[in-house]
Amino acid sequence: MRPRLLAVACAFSIAWLPACGRKDETQPETVAASPQDQAAPTQPQPDAPQSEQAEPLAKATVTLYFPSAGGDLLTAETREIVDTKRPADRGAQIVAALLEGPKSEGALPAVPPGTTLRQLWVRDDGNAYADFSEELMTGANAGSADEILTVYAIVDSLTQNVSEIRKVGILVAGRERETFGHLDLSHPIPPDLTWAKPK
Amino acid sequence: MTSLRPFLLAFTIGAAAFAADPIPVKIATDTSGASTRVVLTFAKKVACTAVEDAGHVRIQCDGPIAADPGTGTLDDAILRSFGAEGDRAIVLTTGRGYKSVDTFELKNPTRLVIDLQGTRTTKAAAAPAVPQKQLPVIVIDPGHGGVEAGAIGPSGLQEKDLTLDLARRLKALLERQGATVVLTRDEDRVLPLDDRTAIANHNHAILFISIHLNASKRKTAVGAETYFLATSATDAEARTLAGLENKAYEPPGATNPPAPGSPPGRELELILWDLAQNSFLVESSRLAEAVQTELNTATGVRDRGVRQAPFRVLMGATMPAILIEAGFISNPEEEARFKDDAYKDKVADAIARAVASITARP
Repeated sequence: MRPRLLAVACAFSIAWLPACGRKDETQPETVAASPQDQAAPTQPQPDAPQSEQAEPLAKATVTLYFPSAGGDLLTAETREIVDTKRPADRGAQIVAALLEGPKSEGALPAVPPGTTLRQLWVRDDGNAYADFSEELMTGANAGSADEILTVYAIVDSLTQNVSEIRKVGILVAGRERETFGHLDLSHPIPPDLTWAKPK
Repeated sequence: MTSLRPFLLAFTIGAAAFAADPIPVKIATDTSGASTRVVLTFAKKVACTAVEDAGHVRIQCDGPIAADPGTGTLDDAILRSFGAEGDRAIVLTTGRGYKSVDTFELKNPTRLVIDLQGTRTTKAAAAPAVPQKQLPVIVIDPGHGGVEAGAIGPSGLQEKDLTLDLARRLKALLERQGATVVLTRDEDRVLPLDDRTAIANHNHAILFISIHLNASKRKTAVGAETYFLATSATDAEARTLAGLENKAYEPPGATNPPAPGSPPGRELELILWDLAQNSFLVESSRLAEAVQTELNTATGVRDRGVRQAPFRVLMGATMPAILIEAGFISNPEEEARFKDDAYKDKVADAIARAVASITARP
């Protein structure tokens, strides 16, 4: 139970972040980059008011998708997040957990090392926009296989756990990109669960 | 008479009735689009009009003409045959699929373009009847190029070189099958993704085939897969825009070069570009299945199957379009295989067979 709680804390609390390096490979840049980006000016501070209220925070279990180490598809891992109601808060927690990386041996990180979430918002039309740091593009345009798994790890993790999110737009460093190498990024992407399950 | 010629020539423009010599007219037909197109190319200007009649469209000219060829028959539900009638008319015998006729003129040389609108019972866009004269155009797109090398194998094999190599082999094979093949690039240079698709659209290609090699951080990743577009549009969005599309725009691949008239606005054009491939997804998936099956049979490498993803290069294509990831050059064994000419021929041959199976469909 302890590691799980730690994961939640990492996703949520800036003060705790120094304890959030990955067990197998510590990545100080990741940790260092996170506090600034998590506290980006436009990001509301959903956790601050809540922690002031003394009510115990309810937990919700979510399913994250990571590229599988041995196969061509995504593999699922569960996490607990704070059961916040705002779709953007849930989305931000999910992406934060995704950026932390997988816990099982059979899964690989979904994004290049050092990638942080700058901001995430959800519009009423069901489109969510996740704005990542420039590191997301590291190694882009090498092979479409890894590109596809990165995109659908993000899109499927968000759409499968936040019912208000129907498509996900991926932004980089605050800007819309035409492509992620091969794939179109100029439109929000609907989920494709064929990448999450064996055919 | 000879001395009068310049005068007569000037006079024939607009009123050729007094010209003694029949004016040569070349007749060409094209059934590769949604409509059947007849192009009359005049050696000199003659005023002609199209008149609809039961089962016929009559092209009546003011002066004597000499049609070449004098008659012709087509395997087409919209236009069955054509033939000269007397020395001043060409009669187009329409088929059951015929609905209406549009004409417009082009200059230098003087041409009368007759578009016979209608429907063909079979999937015309996917499997056009092989035209008698004009060979169908297939556009092959070698992925990456120039400073944009794409994936690089462990021993240094570059994706951009291999895609061009495979594309040239495939081109030779398809030409032997009777197709006209256009490569989006035939040299080592950078080419934006949208330009690649535009080349296919401008050439009125019947198929667009983008060739890539894959790479992954997972060194175990191996095998070939074929993609068609995963659209980002919901059904409702697609329907709304399809309505716009029918009114404002004709997909160039399906019918005509941009006809005289107002081009669609930039905004509309962008939306249409994004949705252009949507109406070809069924045909694209069929082509992808055929290619994947042939690749598996020929190479025996791991079958990664037919998949969908939002590949930018497929989005604006107004014809069946696929992207082939022929193998993983990040995998040392697979990279080694792609250094072998016989293996590359095998891959190109598999794709060519798949194309033949699709285009030969009645």
